[in-house]
Amino acid sequence: MFSEVNSIRRAGLFLLVPLLTVTLSAQSLPPEAEMLARQGHAALDKNEFALAIQDFERARRFAPQSAQILRPLLLSYLEAGRLNEAVEVGHQAVEVSPGDAESHHWLGLAYFKRGQLADAQKELEESAKLAENSFDTHFDLALVLLAEQQYASAAPQLETSLRLKPSSALAHVLLGRSYQNTNRTLQAVDEFRAALRIDSNLPLAHYHLGFAYGSLGQNRQAIAEYEAEIRRTPNDAEVQYQLGRCLLESGDWKSAITHLRRATALDPQKGNGFYELGKAFLLDDNLEGAMTALRRAIELNPQDPSPHYQLARTLERSGNQDAAREERKRFAELKKSQQQSGGMATGRIE
Amino acid sequence: MNSWRLLAKTPAFVLLVLVAFLVVVRATGPQKPPTKSAAKSAHSKTAKASGLVPQFADVAPASGLDFHLTCGSPEKRYIMESMCGGIAVFDYDNDGWMDILLVNGSTLGDLRTGKCHYSRLYHNNHDGTFTDVSGKAGLTHCGWGFGAAVGDYDNDGWEDLYITYLDCGVLYHNNGNGTFTDVTERAGVVNPRRWGTSAAFGDYDNDGHLDLYVANYVELDLDHLPEFGSGPLCRYRGIPVSCGPRGLTGSRDRLYHNNGDGTFTDVSEKLGIDPDGYYGLGVLWLDYDKDGCLDLYVANDSSPSLLYHNDCKGGFSEVGVAAGVAYSSDGREQAGMGVDSADYDHDGWPDFVKTNFSDDTNNLYHNDRNGEFTDMAGPAGFGSVSLPFLGFGVKFFDYDNDGWKDIFVANGHVNPQVDRYSFGVTYKERPLLFHNVGGGKFEEIGLRSGSDFAKPRVMRGAAVGDFLNSGKQDVLVSVLDGPPVLLRSEVLNSGHWLRARAIGTRSNRDGFGARVEVKAGNLVQTEELRANSSFESASDSRLHFGLGSVGRIDGLVIKWPSGIIDTVGREDADQELVVEEGKGLVARHRKTSLGGKNSAAGPAAPTQ
Repeated sequence: MFSEVNSIRRAGLFLLVPLLTVTLSAQSLPPEAEMLARQGHAALDKNEFALAIQDFERARRFAPQSAQILRPLLLSYLEAGRLNEAVEVGHQAVEVSPGDAESHHWLGLAYFKRGQLADAQKELEESAKLAENSFDTHFDLALVLLAEQQYASAAPQLETSLRLKPSSALAHVLLGRSYQNTNRTLQAVDEFRAALRIDSNLPLAHYHLGFAYGSLGQNRQAIAEYEAEIRRTPNDAEVQYQLGRCLLESGDWKSAITHLRRATALDPQKGNGFYELGKAFLLDDNLEGAMTALRRAIELNPQDPSPHYQLARTLERSGNQDAAREERKRFAELKKSQQQSGGMATGRIE
Repeated sequence: MNSWRLLAKTPAFVLLVLVAFLVVVRATGPQKPPTKSAAKSAHSKTAKASGLVPQFADVAPASGLDFHLTCGSPEKRYIMESMCGGIAVFDYDNDGWMDILLVNGSTLGDLRTGKCHYSRLYHNNHDGTFTDVSGKAGLTHCGWGFGAAVGDYDNDGWEDLYITYLDCGVLYHNNGNGTFTDVTERAGVVNPRRWGTSAAFGDYDNDGHLDLYVANYVELDLDHLPEFGSGPLCRYRGIPVSCGPRGLTGSRDRLYHNNGDGTFTDVSEKLGIDPDGYYGLGVLWLDYDKDGCLDLYVANDSSPSLLYHNDCKGGFSEVGVAAGVAYSSDGREQAGMGVDSADYDHDGWPDFVKTNFSDDTNNLYHNDRNGEFTDMAGPAGFGSVSLPFLGFGVKFFDYDNDGWKDIFVANGHVNPQVDRYSFGVTYKERPLLFHNVGGGKFEEIGLRSGSDFAKPRVMRGAAVGDFLNSGKQDVLVSVLDGPPVLLRSEVLNSGHWLRARAIGTRSNRDGFGARVEVKAGNLVQTEELRANSSFESASDSRLHFGLGSVGRIDGLVIKWPSGIIDTVGREDADQELVVEEGKGLVARHRKTSLGGKNSAAGPAAPTQ
């Protein structure tokens, strides 16, 4: 699934050792520390992170303020998933070498993994300032910003990443989503298409392109993309749901039922899937099916007014006027309690 | 160091980011497709291939329509600067040819200094050109105008005008000599300190006198206008824009009952009209349940739209939610703008369309014949294509005279600021033209309908009319901060047609609310008579029926609001039939050709 990720990771691993070796040889360490550092790097190269940590920690005793020890130690802790130590060592590393982009980068990643997004952003921004031409730094900073839902800020980082490495399909997809979520749909379409030109098998690229087409009202193209995604990942409930929804919009409710059934079978907690399924059943004159699906949607999303609205219509069609009135009443109550949406001077929610 | 080494240890990070995007808030939900029964009823005709693609030319510049619609500043910093554009297509001098009224707006500065931007009346010269007769007509109210309604409120045989303004409405009585008199005060339809948008005449109590509905939008204090981009309700997709209507106080609509003596009584409170003061924009009188009493649909912005069911006893019940026309199919408020009605699938029941904001689909409400409607926009091919467009004026018409009503939608955003971004929406937008291909389906063919048609503009009002009396319907559109567009269909080999003009005697003189049924070949078409619909506009009220290849009609039945039914037997196609209540056919007007001042377009001798 993450073929690009894995191949880049392997490439990165090979790059790492020579880089560090060059750095190490540039400055002198006490002989004991140098020996331990060499052992540590060898362990790191073999992904033996516990051993690497042991060696670098011992070396640290001989050279406690050496960036040549602190940096690989930070990396080792990071790789070992010992994030608290990574942050602690990272702080020391950036204190000792405030101009070292990688220390900031790795410290930022440690924060990211700990879920401290604001701290991660700060470190990665510093790293990006120091290493303007690093694809990884800009890309990782974009990931943090995306995790913070700062789509508008993520976009320029991804644009920079792509200037540095135009062949990154994943960066194109993420940039596309950044555009989509900041209402730049036309640019989003271009990015998704670019990603698919590079890697037609990239996970979720067809899905995202389908979504963008759908938001432009181009349902035919959207359906084709969703179908392409489903050929790749048939068991993704969300993709099945979006395809079903798009088919429903296009008036093909019979096909919509098929996909919405799959979506809700794959994810029985998918309230919006049951809601759309209820609507599709209603169109198919399957009032019983509609009522069951809409009631399940209400169970899953009790504060959502929409299923009540549809259920009221279903009950009305089935001749149950009293129950329909009750549902309309519930719908009105929920509407009142919620912030209104839609209308002039509003738009898609960022 | 390549950070992928680190991230790859936890690919869940990347996956997380990607999957997080899976759940995205979308402004619009899927359309509500039809019930099976509705679909069955709608599809008596199988889908036909889209044959004739019209080529529309903008003939406004050559026709003498030298009007410029003034509507605030180009930046549109305030909400009223985006909402001008009323049009009326009507025959003010009873010469049998459709004339044009173009309502003008103003600017804040000019309004404050008293500089006037008058509405303009253009007389049809019967040769494809128009002459500005505003000076003589006396339409002299100075203000910021929006919508126009047409109706003969005093049944004197001359069409009167009601124009909505930012702070009032003005009723112009047609004096029958090319002049109008402002009778607003005396008539009691001032709509004081209210910003009226669309207005419509209709006789809701069938007393033979046209009543008047005025949709009011928001209450505005021009001295304390909400500042551009100043709050969360003054933003669109995150960018600063003009404020409203959310955050502004809605203005309650008005229903004026015609007392039959030249005066009206405001019955809004008595009849429970618009109690919550929603943001009214579109008005449509229609008898959706065919009980002989006009119901009323009001398209509201950012609030539920309202459907008033007429109980035939002088009262209304608001039934929008139960009928399925108040909200989107997902129960969300929409930004309803323009409305129009026709029986697009020939099941004998009036359906209607409503335009909405961009990121939302327009509605095509199919009448389910049980008091409910189903939004068929999605299944009909009418919905999704409209998603990037912000619709205003909308009209059913039959551009190719094949007997199936097509739909014209005027588009144009309200925020010029959108052009600085690649949202997928633009300020200027092309209109949409939906060709009715039968089977309840439409095909959007706007891009193939000529460069004049497809040109992006900021369109607002839209009205249709047969300005040449040639049997082809043209589309007149107002354009914000620009000249109007008169789109003339240049369809060759379009079908036969029939036009019907109604003269009420016991019913209102215009015959508004009359239901006319025409049988030709194996097609039975039913239409309701009205002038006022779309957005802030009034259209040629003569009923137009495309007949395809059928060269004569088998019959015409007109059911008047009074209950009287008149019938007309077999008649040739390609002519206008004038039917008078209680008398039946009283005149035939043959098709004229361009330049036909001497043609048979004038009043003809009664044939019965």
